[in-house]
Amino acid sequence: MTAFLEAIRLVAAPDVLIAIMASAVYGLVVGSLPGLSATMATALLVPVTFYLSPIAAIATIITASAMAIFSGDIPGALMRIPGTPASAAYTDEAYAMTRKGQAELALGAGLWFSAIGGIVGTLSLILMAPMLAEMALSFSTFEYFWLAFLGLMCATLVARSSPIKAIAAMLLGLLFACVGIENPGGVPRFTFGVTDLLGGIEPIPALVGVFAVSEVMRAMMTPEPPPLPRRRFGSILAGQWALTKKYQWPMWRGNIVGIIIGVLPGAGADMAAWVSYATAKRFSKEPEKFGTGHPEGLVEAGASNNASLASGWVPSLLFGIPGDTITAIAIGVLYMKGLNPGPTLFTERASSMYALYIIFVLANIIMIPLGILMIRMASLVLRAPRSAVMPVIMLLCAVGAFATGNNLFSVMLVGLFGIIGFVMERNGYPVAALVLGIVMGTMVEQNFVTSLIKSDGDVLPFFERPVSSVLAAMTIAALLWPAAVWTLRRLRRAEPAR
Amino acid sequence: MHLSDRVTGLFLAVLGALAFWGGSRLPAVPGQDVGPAVFPMVVGGGLVLCGVLIAIGIGRSFEEAEVEPVEAHEGLARHLGDRRALAAFVPPALLLFYALASETLGFLPTAFVMVLLAALSLGASLRLAVIMAVGAPPLVHLVFYKLLRVPLPAGLLPAPW
Repeated sequence: MTAFLEAIRLVAAPDVLIAIMASAVYGLVVGSLPGLSATMATALLVPVTFYLSPIAAIATIITASAMAIFSGDIPGALMRIPGTPASAAYTDEAYAMTRKGQAELALGAGLWFSAIGGIVGTLSLILMAPMLAEMALSFSTFEYFWLAFLGLMCATLVARSSPIKAIAAMLLGLLFACVGIENPGGVPRFTFGVTDLLGGIEPIPALVGVFAVSEVMRAMMTPEPPPLPRRRFGSILAGQWALTKKYQWPMWRGNIVGIIIGVLPGAGADMAAWVSYATAKRFSKEPEKFGTGHPEGLVEAGASNNASLASGWVPSLLFGIPGDTITAIAIGVLYMKGLNPGPTLFTERASSMYALYIIFVLANIIMIPLGILMIRMASLVLRAPRSAVMPVIMLLCAVGAFATGNNLFSVMLVGLFGIIGFVMERNGYPVAALVLGIVMGTMVEQNFVTSLIKSDGDVLPFFERPVSSVLAAMTIAALLWPAAVWTLRRLRRAEPAR
Repeated sequence: MHLSDRVTGLFLAVLGALAFWGGSRLPAVPGQDVGPAVFPMVVGGGLVLCGVLIAIGIGRSFEEAEVEPVEAHEGLARHLGDRRALAAFVPPALLLFYALASETLGFLPTAFVMVLLAALSLGASLRLAVIMAVGAPPLVHLVFYKLLRVPLPAGLLPAPW
């Protein structure tokens, strides 16, 4: 109880409250601009968090990401351009509703069910994390190795591209993580005599480059989206209660699917939205209405992507294994602020954990009034020409990268990773897998090598402990899954030919 | 920058082979079988395998057909015509410019050049580009220098605060 009161005191500090409000507005604006994703919003925030208190830093990340995930629905519904990839699953549906004259209902559903999903996801975080922490205390390097590897494999499944290309992207990320002297031998590895590389490739410049610079690069070659027609909105929340009652089951299913996908290391909001939209259609009583402006899928997927956002923090806080790209960034911030992820976080820093929960709930509550404001102002924000927004984003990339270590080498790294991200995306290599590889590389290697040393180079002990054998089975299943899908498809295609 | 799978696959395979070779030459930890060499060798080996599989076209059935936009382009991309992919490299080039020039020129002049050129290449009117280039850098400077205390270089044109 004292820890809880302490947590309230921590959150009620003026700097934290200001940070929450400012990052909420920032997240809403950035998320609503097409092409600027929630991950990018978070990545650009990191340099700012350097200079904030630990709780304020975490608060900005949580608030900005939750707002950006909702806000991505706005251009999706109004212009049929998803603001963030997590909204892409139901953009067509929301736009169809707008064309039917139900823009308010579509946007309101995005807002209302995002907030519900976020709160239910937070509850799952509160309930699950301490239970899993008990279990995690008995984990050895074998379990950690498999968990990290499972996370990487899940990240390759998420991408809707060739699984081999996804695995290649992930391996490329691991290779980047090899650079530097932070390795089992403490020798300079792949530094080519460059002093700046001795410290390794920091995840933040890589993230900013891959997610922000490459987006500016893409804007250079694609035409500007059409301007948003001005429109007046009716009541946004009217009718949401009726929707909640009518689609109670899809809503809960969305919440639960989102939570499960979020907890899986490596899989995040994008995948949650796609899976939930698909299950909504599969189990709906009126699947033929999907795609014509039917709110059911919106309810389920809208709840799902925000629920996954909160539960994605479970593996991040417990094991330091990111649930998605946003928590991959958050983990870096946690380390920087002395809140090193691990099961002991829940006993030693209980008040900080409670503060984190409170911020999550708070962010999802203020999402409703701020979201309504944002929807009403959307035509104003979305009118900002891209040729004015993108140069500023690029400038922020440069300054942000510089701020991470006050050296200009990171600015060059940001540019380099922009090119890498751009070329990879154009050729069907998912960049999220690359980023998770870079972020988790050191951890995977450490646990892999320590386990190998413990087992004297033998592979068998990797499968001997009960939990590690289960995790190994899951990882191998994730590895073989694409092959199974491919075989099934071949069989199915062969049948009608007969 | 659309390359064929054969090119990217072979590139990855060569990169993996180099990583494997480079890793195998790393000094071992005395008295220990497992050292800094193992991980790059495993990763490099995996990359070789993936690269070869990509080059021979396995897994392509999972990819969605690429839709290349053929609509009207603005700014630099339109001027470049068929070579418009080059326009995409303006932002990294400007970042390189920042890394090389900001120490001597100072933050405000460097940022002015960056924003101006980027806005113009994106097809902004000269008026909008100048407004952005004059207006945005001082704001960014104010937030990062004053509020966050990032030591941005003053150079030729120190900010008044």
